[in-house]
Amino acid sequence: MIFAMLRVMALSLIRDRGALAMAFLLPPTIFVIFAAIFSGTSGDELELQVGYTVLAPSPVTERLETALRAEPGLRVLSDNPVDEAALRSAVEAGRADAGILVRSALDSPSDEAPIVVFVDPGKAMAGGIVAGQVQRLVAETLPEIGLARTAPLVEQLVGGFDPGQSARLAAGLEAIAADAGDTPAEGGGLVAQQVVGGGGNSGGAVTYYAGAVAILFLLFSAMQGAATLIEERNSGIVDRLAVGPAGTDVVVIGKYLFLTAQGVIQVGLIFLVAALAYSVDVSADPLAWLLTTLFAAMAASGLALFVASACTSKQQAQTISTFVVLVFSAIGGSMVPRYMMPPWLQDVGWYTPNAWTIEAYHGVLWRGEALADLTGSLLPLALTGLLGLLASIAISRARLRL
Amino acid sequence: MSANRFAADRGEAVLEVDRLDVRFGKRHVLRHLELEIGRSEVFGLLGPNGAGKTTLIRAICGRVRPASGDIRIVGQSNRDRHTLHHIGLVPQEIALYMHLTARENLDVFGALSGLSRSERRQAIAWAAHATRLDERLEERVDIFSGGWKRRVNIAAAILHQPDLLILDEPTVGVDVDARNELHEVIRDLSAGGMAVLLATHDLDQAEALCSRVGFLRGGVIGPQGAPRHLIDLAFQGGKEVMLELRRPPEAEGRAALAEAGFMPSHNTTIWTTLGMVIDETLTGLSARLESLGSPVREIRVREPGLDSLFLHLARNEAGPDR
Repeated sequence: MIFAMLRVMALSLIRDRGALAMAFLLPPTIFVIFAAIFSGTSGDELELQVGYTVLAPSPVTERLETALRAEPGLRVLSDNPVDEAALRSAVEAGRADAGILVRSALDSPSDEAPIVVFVDPGKAMAGGIVAGQVQRLVAETLPEIGLARTAPLVEQLVGGFDPGQSARLAAGLEAIAADAGDTPAEGGGLVAQQVVGGGGNSGGAVTYYAGAVAILFLLFSAMQGAATLIEERNSGIVDRLAVGPAGTDVVVIGKYLFLTAQGVIQVGLIFLVAALAYSVDVSADPLAWLLTTLFAAMAASGLALFVASACTSKQQAQTISTFVVLVFSAIGGSMVPRYMMPPWLQDVGWYTPNAWTIEAYHGVLWRGEALADLTGSLLPLALTGLLGLLASIAISRARLRL
Repeated sequence: MSANRFAADRGEAVLEVDRLDVRFGKRHVLRHLELEIGRSEVFGLLGPNGAGKTTLIRAICGRVRPASGDIRIVGQSNRDRHTLHHIGLVPQEIALYMHLTARENLDVFGALSGLSRSERRQAIAWAAHATRLDERLEERVDIFSGGWKRRVNIAAAILHQPDLLILDEPTVGVDVDARNELHEVIRDLSAGGMAVLLATHDLDQAEALCSRVGFLRGGVIGPQGAPRHLIDLAFQGGKEVMLELRRPPEAEGRAALAEAGFMPSHNTTIWTTLGMVIDETLTGLSARLESLGSPVREIRVREPGLDSLFLHLARNEAGPDR
């Protein structure tokens, strides 16, 4: 009897392609995505994009640049930002995950660290990683720098070197420089970190996650709402409307508008909580925030209606929706920041509305970008929404023609 | 709004189906189908599952492109989308929004039928009255019984006063009282001038309600006409006779029954014949069966109905060996 039940369950699973996909395709897919992300963060594949700017070029800074470019964990921008402002701008705009500024001679003792790592607060972990990498590279490839910076301190402590000692110290530093890479040394006090951006009035990490969570739930609720299209098809409501002047277009368009409006309210609530609990401020440019929210909701609604109209049953739609939302959210940065992903996965992420939504919110709320600067992020969202809607209308019309 | 807006046109053909052929790939689903329904006529489209009833309804509603033939509604081709607005469709399913009240549902479907707000107010009042729904308009549909849901289902289809009302199994799952009330509703709508196409498996319903019926089998529509006329034509005044035997007959008994036109039902002790003229043949057969060890327990004689005609047509189609 137990075997009979087992057989029923097995046959039901085998004959339900959606359940099969959920049971056996989604878990490895999500695993692959997360494995790619977290193996990256553990060091094997992580490649952070960095900008490198030197205010006073020297042979030492050239050696550091060579070492940085040779480091597999870093991708140095091909064109070095010309000055500090350009470097900060590259980090704020997201073109670089972190910026390395060499602001004074590395081998001269000074009160301030000669190297500063700029980082966006939404990518704080990237700053720590890059600072650590720079420290290590200096220690491995420029070991004389550490000694050169500490020698004057030692000289001060011992009451000064005589000329012979000074000559031997200089010769020793030259020899270490010649054998660079063989003698690890400490590079303490070389690198400092600075947070950049904040043109808007909000916390960078919070704005990142507010946007990430907003698009995740926009997708979930839109998928759920769009599934009523299938209920209406199955209950004969669409049959009834097919002979009326409205046809199925009004059904799809009506749902699109409703889901978009619902999405705007939903995101509004998320940002209300973010404002009350974390002081996220949308008041600086409410129009830009509203448009970002509107386009994100349109993208989620279009995508959801496309899935619902393409599916033949509610069960199938639920399966595919879950699949789409989880995969898009994982790849698009709603679960884990995209900079932590391997480069190929970051590139794939641009094919999800999540990545564009997060980018747009970060632009509005953290970088304080104007509406014109957001066009590049809003356009893909608007296109996704529009194409999803048109596809849904076309499929719904085609379904009426049997 | 008046239920008699069609009265002047009584008798005019509302639906004309002319040599309709529908194919799905290589499969011929409807063949050379001819059908005409006039105002105030209730036409019963009868047939087993898979006969093509749903395909015909979809073709009339413009959802299936015919391979050949024409469909006209109030004289206009249904290929013109505007012509479809003369149709009111009552799907077999309860095609309503369950969380809305009856009035809210009617308001939604009225708006989707293109009625203005003031037209909708009048239309809802008229449709609610026509379907005896007035007293429960403000209640949510999901708490209604099957019969009440069916009333709202019909009301939602007649808001725009269509010339042709298509009902697909309108009384499935309702009790006898509710069914009879729905019959009254349909009769009244027909009397008001609507042409009604009723697709049903329920032959008693068709006989009670339809002015004409047509049997659809294998994509071909058979004889059409008034139920009583078709029955009389098929059975020539004969009766439907059922013999219940005490024991299943042996070969000789089976031969005697077959010779008299009887066929076994699912149970070999029950044999029926259609269109039998009651005379001494039945007495002789009874005596013969008794002598062969299968005495008759009960003889039932009744006027043949549409179910008898349906069986008769099925047997004729299957051939004499069946």
